[in-house]
Amino acid sequence: MGKSAGSARSCPGTFARAWAKAVSGTSYLPMTQAQLEALLQRLTERLAVAIQSEPFDLRIGHQVGAELVQAHIASAEGLGRTIEVIQLRLVRDLGLVADDVEDRMARLLATVATGYARALRDRTLDEQESIRRAAMMARAQAERALRESEARFRHQATHDPLTDLPNRTLFTERLAAALDTADRIGVCFIDLDRFKVVNDSLGHQIGDLLLVSVAQRLRRALGEHLVARLGGDEFVILVERTAGTDDVVEVAEAALAAVSEPALVDGHELTVSASIGIVERPAAGTSPMELMRAADSTLHWAKAAGGARWSIFDADRNRQELARYALSAAIPAALDRGEFYLDYQPLTALRDGRVLGMEALVRWRHPELGVLRPDSFIGLAEETGLIVRLGAWVLAEACREARTWADESGDGPFVSVNLAVQQVRRPGLVDEVRDLLRRTGLPPGRLQLEITESTMMSTAEEPVRALRVLADLGVRIAIDDFGTGYCNLAYLRGLPVTELKVAGEFVAGLRAPAGRTDERILASLVSLAHALKVTVTAEGVETAEQAERLRAIGCDAAQGWHFGRPGPAAQHLGRSPALTATG
Amino acid sequence: MQRPDWAPDTIDIERPSVARMYDYYLGGSHNFAADRAAARAMVEAVPEAPLMAQANRAFLRRAVQFLAESGVRQFLDIGSGIPTVGNVHEIAQRIDPECRVLYVDVDPVAVAHSQEILAGNDRATVVQEDLRRPAAILQHPEVTKLLDFSQPVAVMIVAVLHFIPDADRPEEILRTLRAALAPGSYLVMSQASDDDRGETGERAEAERVYRRTDNQLFIRSRAELTALFDGFELVDPGVVWVPQWRPESPEQAEDAAKAVFIGGVGRLGG
Repeated sequence: MGKSAGSARSCPGTFARAWAKAVSGTSYLPMTQAQLEALLQRLTERLAVAIQSEPFDLRIGHQVGAELVQAHIASAEGLGRTIEVIQLRLVRDLGLVADDVEDRMARLLATVATGYARALRDRTLDEQESIRRAAMMARAQAERALRESEARFRHQATHDPLTDLPNRTLFTERLAAALDTADRIGVCFIDLDRFKVVNDSLGHQIGDLLLVSVAQRLRRALGEHLVARLGGDEFVILVERTAGTDDVVEVAEAALAAVSEPALVDGHELTVSASIGIVERPAAGTSPMELMRAADSTLHWAKAAGGARWSIFDADRNRQELARYALSAAIPAALDRGEFYLDYQPLTALRDGRVLGMEALVRWRHPELGVLRPDSFIGLAEETGLIVRLGAWVLAEACREARTWADESGDGPFVSVNLAVQQVRRPGLVDEVRDLLRRTGLPPGRLQLEITESTMMSTAEEPVRALRVLADLGVRIAIDDFGTGYCNLAYLRGLPVTELKVAGEFVAGLRAPAGRTDERILASLVSLAHALKVTVTAEGVETAEQAERLRAIGCDAAQGWHFGRPGPAAQHLGRSPALTATG
Repeated sequence: MQRPDWAPDTIDIERPSVARMYDYYLGGSHNFAADRAAARAMVEAVPEAPLMAQANRAFLRRAVQFLAESGVRQFLDIGSGIPTVGNVHEIAQRIDPECRVLYVDVDPVAVAHSQEILAGNDRATVVQEDLRRPAAILQHPEVTKLLDFSQPVAVMIVAVLHFIPDADRPEEILRTLRAALAPGSYLVMSQASDDDRGETGERAEAERVYRRTDNQLFIRSRAELTALFDGFELVDPGVVWVPQWRPESPEQAEDAAKAVFIGGVGRLGG
């Protein structure tokens, strides 16, 4: 040994280049060929030192092995080729001379391999640990993301996106839970009054902002109670563990106050009021659905009473409404099943007791409730629009029956049928009547259509024209219940009216001592009507005395119990019992 | 190992991951038994697989070096995988520490690993996204925070496109990315190809191996990859076998077709 490194340095590149070539491709080397050669040149110099140092230094070989691994020359092939190239070429290429060079070479290779294997083992373990940690981190992150998305999803599913208040789902959940734990419970259903006006006049954007503002105010005022938005301008408050109605009324008052605070919304100062339906009852024996429904219908009572107020649930009122609702819902099926039929009440001439006509009165033979009179279902049918179908049936049935009343000469009493305002306003009325008359063969003069005074007053031009067409056909047009409304005779001039039916109230007055006034009013009414070529029929005539007075006044006809109660047509045909009885 | 019900499939370490298989080809130990088993099956089918990975990695290194020397200081590496040796930020930041590098990968383990590696480097970061959602990548807050798209950005899609089927409309993905780039930006792409190889059995076997992972293999020809550079001006020597792309020595470019990967670098003019 003892040769200076000078001779080694004379041809430094040869060995390093051979080494670089040997390890190229054994693994991915993140460097250029020049960088690799420079690295290996540096290591070559260390090896040269190691092979010559006295005493032999194990650490140098270890370090070279470790540095190879660090530089990513870290494959089994990389080690094999390194050993091969050192063994074959190091001494020769560097011109190293030593007596025990074979011995030293063996020891050097052993230390390089040892250092290499140790470093590679450490690196492998480190990398395994690092990737496992990454897998764990990824899993933890995924778990957290899932939890967050679940929480977000849960929030979205249970909250209203506009106001961030709990929605119907969450409210129902909480209500159900409260019903399980509380003795008594209360619910306030809130609906803003005339909110549609805000939307229509200022736009939905302002409407939405107003809802957000109302939501905030409700939440602030009623923080301890659950406030939810059910949709639209409907909110609901859950009052848990109530002692009685007063507790919920207090909440409702606070809610009304909170809603009615003026709000500045996008530059508009808006003041809204609300209606509230209150239900407060023992938790046992009720369900969330039932409570919500009860509160909802109670809300409508508050609305119907003019809004800006609360109403408390009333079981009796609710039962009646439900019964009414059930009845109206049953009308179409009842029509299909033929549960309706007509009774008739005669309109009798006061002069000679002849039956001039008969008013058709609809009856419902209800399978459970028995025979129902029109006052228990006509109002409902008018509210729901079912009156159009029901009225059409009545008109058709009346015409069909009236056709059979004719005597040998072909003459007979007319049939008088009530028309609801919806029927009068229908565009097809003229065709409907004309078609009916054609199909039944009933002469137009034997059909009288009764229209209330208020229908007449509220009717636009088009329906009046229809009535005129019908009148021109020969159909009789009567004003029903005359005297209960506006009582304006003036408009009769412009209308094709053939008869006035004076309301029973006037007739009732004929009995009392104060009846002189009613009698005078009736007398002038009759003379005015006659001046307009309109006949007068008095309704509600119950006594012979009333009949006599009416006849004296000049009233043309009368209708009432005195002349015959409603019943099958046959009962009234061909006789005039009342008049016969009075003389 | 019992996998909880909620764990997404991608964190199932009993399923091979292409990122960790790639690490194995490169001689790394950032992999699990399932990755090694799949990688070994791949090597059996295509013995050059480790060589391919190395050649591709070397292409990436030379491309980043070229880009950094061309003045690019921002890199968006989509499908970066396990950040083992010779990452983009190591190469680029050695040339200029100001270089900013954003890694994107769909594999949550690769992303978690990258987060650990990059902790403390405020000019390199990683986000979990999918190349198939380029708009989501471009709008990701971390991306917009680190990269300035008014300046040139090098988009790297290296050894990833062969996991994107034509049905996922790669041309539209690239159009979306291109639209976000300033003039002077670059696109680097490489992918597996079978041009001039014609050993269809080998290809079928490789595709079969990758069906075990979450990613299937979709081989493309040179013409097909070139078409995906639409709108970019290919720098010399165009789309070639990756060892032929600006090799440092002539020997490096020998037997280039064995690398299986073709690749190129395009510049956005303007």
